[in-house]
Amino acid sequence: MKLNSKIPSGPLSEKWDKHKFELKLVNPANKRKFTVIVVGTGLAGGSAAASLAELGYNVKNFCIQDSPRRAHSIAAQGGINAAKNYANDGDSIRRLFYDTIKGGDFRAREGNVYRLAQISNNIIDQCVAQGVPFARDYGGLLANRSFGGAQVSRTFYARGQTGQQLLLGAYSALSRQIGSGKVKMFARREMLDLVTENNRAVGIIVRNLINGDIEMHAGDAVVLCTGGYGNVFFLSTNAMGSNVTAAYRAYKKGALFANPCFTQIHPTCIPVHGDYQSKLTLMSESLRNDGRVWAPKDRGDKRRPDQIPEAERDYYLERRYPSFGNLVPRDVASRNAKAQCDKGKGVGETGLAVYLDFRDAIKRDSKEVIEKKYGNLFAMYEKITADDPYQTPMMIYPAVHYTMGGLWVDYNLMSAIDGLFVLGEANFSDHGANRLGASALMQGLADGYFVIPYTIGGYLAGVTPDKTPASAQIFTDAAKKCSERTKRLLSIQGKKTVDDFHKRLGLILWEYCGMSRNEQGLIKAKDMIAELREEFYQNVLVPGIDKDLNQSLERAGRVADFLEFGELMVTDALNRKESCGGHFNEAFQTEEGEALRDDENFCYAAAWEFTGEGKEPTLCKEPFEFENVKLTQRSYK
Amino acid sequence: MSGTNRINLTLKVWRQKAGKSKGNLAEYQAKEISTDMSFLEMLDVVNEYLTLKGEEPIAFDHDCREGICGMCGAVINGRPHGQEKGTTLCQLHMRHFKDGETVFIEPFKAKAFKNIKDLIVDRTAFDKIIQSGGFISANTGGAQDANAILISQKNADLAMDAAACIGCGACVAACPNASAMLFVSAKVSHLTLLPQGKPEAAARVTAMVNTMDDLGFGNCSNERECEAECPKEISIANIARLNREFIKAGFFKS
Amino acid sequence: MNWFIRVITASVGKKLLMALTGIFFIKFLLIHLIGNLTIYGGDEYFNAYVKHLHSLGPIITVLEFFMLFLAVIHISTGLLLFFQNLSARPFKYAVNKNGGGRTIGSSTMPYTGIFIFIFLIFHLINFHFVDKTNTTVFDIVSNAFANPIYVFFYVIAVAAAAFHVSHGFWSAFQTLGLNNVKYMPFIKKIGVTTSIIFGIGFGFLPIYIFIM
Repeated sequence: MKLNSKIPSGPLSEKWDKHKFELKLVNPANKRKFTVIVVGTGLAGGSAAASLAELGYNVKNFCIQDSPRRAHSIAAQGGINAAKNYANDGDSIRRLFYDTIKGGDFRAREGNVYRLAQISNNIIDQCVAQGVPFARDYGGLLANRSFGGAQVSRTFYARGQTGQQLLLGAYSALSRQIGSGKVKMFARREMLDLVTENNRAVGIIVRNLINGDIEMHAGDAVVLCTGGYGNVFFLSTNAMGSNVTAAYRAYKKGALFANPCFTQIHPTCIPVHGDYQSKLTLMSESLRNDGRVWAPKDRGDKRRPDQIPEAERDYYLERRYPSFGNLVPRDVASRNAKAQCDKGKGVGETGLAVYLDFRDAIKRDSKEVIEKKYGNLFAMYEKITADDPYQTPMMIYPAVHYTMGGLWVDYNLMSAIDGLFVLGEANFSDHGANRLGASALMQGLADGYFVIPYTIGGYLAGVTPDKTPASAQIFTDAAKKCSERTKRLLSIQGKKTVDDFHKRLGLILWEYCGMSRNEQGLIKAKDMIAELREEFYQNVLVPGIDKDLNQSLERAGRVADFLEFGELMVTDALNRKESCGGHFNEAFQTEEGEALRDDENFCYAAAWEFTGEGKEPTLCKEPFEFENVKLTQRSYK
Repeated sequence: MSGTNRINLTLKVWRQKAGKSKGNLAEYQAKEISTDMSFLEMLDVVNEYLTLKGEEPIAFDHDCREGICGMCGAVINGRPHGQEKGTTLCQLHMRHFKDGETVFIEPFKAKAFKNIKDLIVDRTAFDKIIQSGGFISANTGGAQDANAILISQKNADLAMDAAACIGCGACVAACPNASAMLFVSAKVSHLTLLPQGKPEAAARVTAMVNTMDDLGFGNCSNERECEAECPKEISIANIARLNREFIKAGFFKS
Repeated sequence: MNWFIRVITASVGKKLLMALTGIFFIKFLLIHLIGNLTIYGGDEYFNAYVKHLHSLGPIITVLEFFMLFLAVIHISTGLLLFFQNLSARPFKYAVNKNGGGRTIGSSTMPYTGIFIFIFLIFHLINFHFVDKTNTTVFDIVSNAFANPIYVFFYVIAVAAAAFHVSHGFWSAFQTLGLNNVKYMPFIKKIGVTTSIIFGIGFGFLPIYIFIM
């Protein structure tokens, strides 16, 4: 398939303005004739549903949780970036654009990223107008902080709960529209399939999670805001319900899945402590500002940290990266932690952790100063682990955190299927191969509040509102397939639980398609996943019935899709014979062990097209063109 | 993870079939539970065991498992989210339980929170209250520069204290009267404390209180159980603020 | 519906009625207590106070009807709240535990309230609607409190009232929206002090008379 990114021509800073003017408008009287289906109620979905309803469209909004307020955007801690330059420290739209492009290792579109940086300022204005209680200075102006190694203070925050507050802002705007009747909310519904007609999205099939009914919903456009696929690894910082099903079903209906191998692994998470562990908890990476990362010099050193003398500790980040030390980017810090553990130098019961030590910082600055900076994080750590970080070093280990890959979309955020738009983490994003801290919230809200309200009009202006009714044959056929799938899962009645398979899939991907990858491992993983999938369909045990609230069945459906999707990730990783951002292929590294890009051959988005069950997907390439930035090699020595 | 232990517990879990109005406490054994587990991970282990035994696992709501989404919650030994202060159920760890203990696990109970199945209840009443007025009517796009509105740090902090509510419903579960006042007051306070929220303050508080009443929540009698059990430790000073705003709106605004 | 009715029939409105009428009763009890203290002055002193009170004539009658009106509001609203609150949780928990907010005063409000109401009827029949033609109020009081059962009943009722006030006092301020970090601790202290004063002040009187 030939990909057309539809990036407007003209100078970078004028593209979006020009495009907005060129987009056709929908007559206000006609807007009420159109129904837009929005799946997901996170920052992207909630803001999109609210904004589209405000414009006059009829919106049907779906979420799997009991309330739209619970989407996983709520868990983002750190903050949201914007190029306001309130701090007067040299920030600008261009700088935010450049930092984002460079941070993403030059694997994103210039046009999209520039638009994101432009819109970032409107987001802050909008959120304040909604009543988001951002942190303030004494004088009442908004406070900013520097985040994730950025050299400017451009991050707006609401304590450690920025995601929650932004989501509640979008949720309140959405609630207002639900109250006014413009949005019809369908909570506890899971999208099981996309309905298309002549490569045009005309509706969705959902399962009512309360009673198991399969429901059919027709719309003039479908907007997917279903988040990332980090849970393919089983253990991640994602919510338990986060899944790839909606995006993957769209892929199987003709949307392309781009760069699925780009996953971000966050270095400072609380380590795994047992097989029963269900999720990983992230701690702000600001901890690395004062904490020193180390592992014992000797393999299998099981002494308590305080019994390991200074000379037998290896402050490996400081040793390897003298100028950046403990503040190297996320991917570098993560990879090094894994390397230590792989060498048998990991600490803790599982040997899958390294120390993050505040001893020296406390000695230098006093306990009070450290408490003031990190008190809440230390308390959180102590709550989970029952260890006191003031007394004994924290143990940390990397965890899957964010996925940059997603459904391929053009500049209008429309996928390869007409009328199917994809927003937020669910699309292959503006973050390229690696996302900077405090940028996920920015992108979700940019897409929902300020991009889709324009671009969906451009699409709907070209179609007539006489939508295919949900009673049509294509809907009933699709619904029938969905119920057959659930019935099949229930009928296997094997001997292993759904979680059992999910955990095994996660381990395969973590091992072979995690922080660092190599061809041999990836090939092995591909076979292993295929085997596991086969075993799943022979031996999975899903209790209960379909016409009931059945959480095992919900999980089974998601894991079934993860089992297919995992293979796609591996396929993508195998194809990308370079290292960049979240994709580190061991065969491609600098002498210093850094990611070595191959801009000659891989400066493109790898968008995968589904070609049929059991068949290899087709690779479609969208080359990235850089007219405004120079491609450089990262170095943190 | 110092001092990891394994403990055995007897669970008395509320089981209620979907669509039925009655349920009962069923007894299960939770064996070899690591004290590092969270309460929900303990339930996961029990569910895996039940599944393999051919029994239906216990249905319970949960999502983020880091104490922020507000989806989880059950009454543990008579205490919503368990006995630890300022903690959601997903952040309650098994080290707070003793070996051999009997643990009662019941769903949140209130007329306004209908039971859906086992430990899952319907909290859409909270959404309905927000829909009736828990917002600032600011359409996308019309906002002025964010720094054009000055908000004292004190008020921003107070608003944030109230806005920290995760909407889990523990306040309703804890209240002897199943009142939703802490939840409603948190939202009213958050928006009233900010200058952006002032224009709609009177209409908002009236609409939200009336909706709350219509949905069948009880009346607040200032027993302070909500404040004691709130996982985000929202203060009842917010309830006083709601009362003040309601009285102001009712008697002094036309 | 009239705006006034709409406001006072809302949950917060009903609580407002309880708070305002409750505060009035606290004031009344305070005056009542001060008056009653004249008993310690003996027969003549107390009767003189009663006489002075009765000499106010129509003012007292008006006040009595006003109080009756407030009592009707306080009691009927209280009962309404009680039954509404009961029905707000149709299915009870198997295990109930105090989370640390409740006090004896707060969790027994409806029950102490009902008990005080019963006592009040009894109290009025005994001391108010009694034939006073051939006797003095002091005699009526001393005769009544000569009976240990009556003293006991009276002391229990006073204790109930004290508990009722211990929660009611600060609760009224909370309901009126007058909770402020600066002075709320003070209000709570006054509430407790008031309830202790009522408890001891009213409670010791019958014992004093009984012993005398």
